[in-house]
Amino acid sequence: MSGGALAENGGLRQNGGLIDNGALIHNGVLIDDTFAEAFPMKATRLIVTAHTLAWARQAAVSATGFATSVIGCGCEAGIETELSAGQTPDGRPGISLLLFAMSGKELAKQVERRVGQCVLTCPTTAVFAGIADGEAIALGKNLRFFGDGWQQSKLIGGRRFWRIPVMDGEFVAEETTAIVKCVGGGNLLLLARDTDSALAVAEAAVAAMRALPNVIMPFPGGLVRSGSKVGSKYPALGASTNGAFCPGLRGLVPHSALDAATRCVLEIVIDGLTEADVAGAMRAGMAAGLGLGAAGGLLRISAGNYGGKLGPYHFHLHKILAGDAA
Amino acid sequence: MTGWTLALRQPPTLRVDLRGITPLALAGLSALQVAQCPVVQGNQRLPLGEFFSVAARADDVLLLDGDLSRFDRVGWQLDGGRLQVQGSVGDHAGGAMRGGELCVQGDAGLLAACEMAGGWLHITGDVGDFAASNLPGSLDGMRGGVLIVRGNAGERFADRMRRGTALVVGDAGDFLASRLVAGTVAVGGRVGAHVGHGMRRGTVVLVADTAAAPPTFVPAGGDAPVFWQLLARELARLGGAGSAFAGLPQRKITRHLGDLAADGKGELVWPQ
Repeated sequence: MSGGALAENGGLRQNGGLIDNGALIHNGVLIDDTFAEAFPMKATRLIVTAHTLAWARQAAVSATGFATSVIGCGCEAGIETELSAGQTPDGRPGISLLLFAMSGKELAKQVERRVGQCVLTCPTTAVFAGIADGEAIALGKNLRFFGDGWQQSKLIGGRRFWRIPVMDGEFVAEETTAIVKCVGGGNLLLLARDTDSALAVAEAAVAAMRALPNVIMPFPGGLVRSGSKVGSKYPALGASTNGAFCPGLRGLVPHSALDAATRCVLEIVIDGLTEADVAGAMRAGMAAGLGLGAAGGLLRISAGNYGGKLGPYHFHLHKILAGDAA
Repeated sequence: MTGWTLALRQPPTLRVDLRGITPLALAGLSALQVAQCPVVQGNQRLPLGEFFSVAARADDVLLLDGDLSRFDRVGWQLDGGRLQVQGSVGDHAGGAMRGGELCVQGDAGLLAACEMAGGWLHITGDVGDFAASNLPGSLDGMRGGVLIVRGNAGERFADRMRRGTALVVGDAGDFLASRLVAGTVAVGGRVGAHVGHGMRRGTVVLVADTAAAPPTFVPAGGDAPVFWQLLARELARLGGAGSAFAGLPQRKITRHLGDLAADGKGELVWPQ
């Protein structure tokens, strides 16, 4: 979208304006005329229930631990939302998890490993598929062999469940869960005047995003401080620190993206089930940050991309803010 | 797809085998062709029109109207479409059906749903002995689908059943779920002697029965609340409002495991 088209948006004209390089100013915050570049992934949703919400959360936190990036963790995972007893298959409180991986095969491996080590082991839990339609991967299908022959299957309402005897009773797991195509790697870069304001703005943005369904922000607290670029001076490394956004390297690296006032940058990475989900989360996050505005220490919003050559999904910040993006 | 109403002219003197008369088989035929479909009575092959008047319907239902107590194998090997019977049917109703929906507004004779493998079979009245069981000489009984009997069931209900869900809203006779291999059987009323005799796996829910567990079953030590909620909600849905199954999700259960005489790991479930 061109800057001119943006200016025709009445809401934007009232609260913000374009500057010469195509960037937009809103509530004192500069919004770069750039885009986040995202990639196709495979995802599934799991519903973990337990005797109490606290124990469901214990299992969920464990199962989604060490799942910040597919690069080193095999998958990206997070808690989508909490579920009341009336929203789960077994009438107990639960947690909805989303797991993303680069392939269905890797996702299947991660699901089995994480459920087997973190949900099966957690007192009183049960696990169910949270997506009905799609290619099926094993959920309890192989974990059932932990039952050493005492496991039993139950076909209820067209869904097969495995009942595995364990020391607190039995662990119930649905046989399979479905995987779907999805979008991973949507992102926002929040450029702030100091650490306090960067954290406050980013936390507000993550909180707004977490209120939405179908998305997770897989990094700690939803935030990344170690934004990366492709390549490194060391041949063995495929990625390295994004010097252009490191305040400490301003004046040292050849093309710093920061000005002198920017002393802290935090990134939010978003994985979503659809392009629209990612765009919606980015919009909510931007709105939350812009709500705090320059007075809250937010100086600029940008996004990470690879020139548009690697990922098929491009989330243009101006379009998203104007509500024109998917 | 064209539906048909087949109205019984008069009850036949001998039993009639209605196998092959299914919604999918008759769809696309003309009324004349439907009337000429052969059925077997004794050792004779007679046209369907000998027994029924044929009328087209606006929907896709095959409706058999009349007392078909002398008609066997209604819905035999049904694998799609909707077949409704306004009246009782003979033996083997819904036998070996693989899909579709068969609804009998009346009673069914012996061996209803025997070796049923899929689909829905709904009988508003009673069923005779060996419903949801196996054909003579076969090792496996019902092996899929859903059978709902609103009335009472005879003896040997779900004998050798292997898979699927079979509900009896009323009472059931002796040897309920005998030699059960797997699957779910639920009875809303009283049951006869020898429940679960020789059962290997599977679940038998006895909603209103107060009899003691057979001596070859042992009390289950552990709780199974998740399994019970999943099953109870499904049974309540299948049984419908006002049935004995309606309040199951709110009730706790006791379970007995067996039949140890057959090295079984099945369970008898009594809602409290």
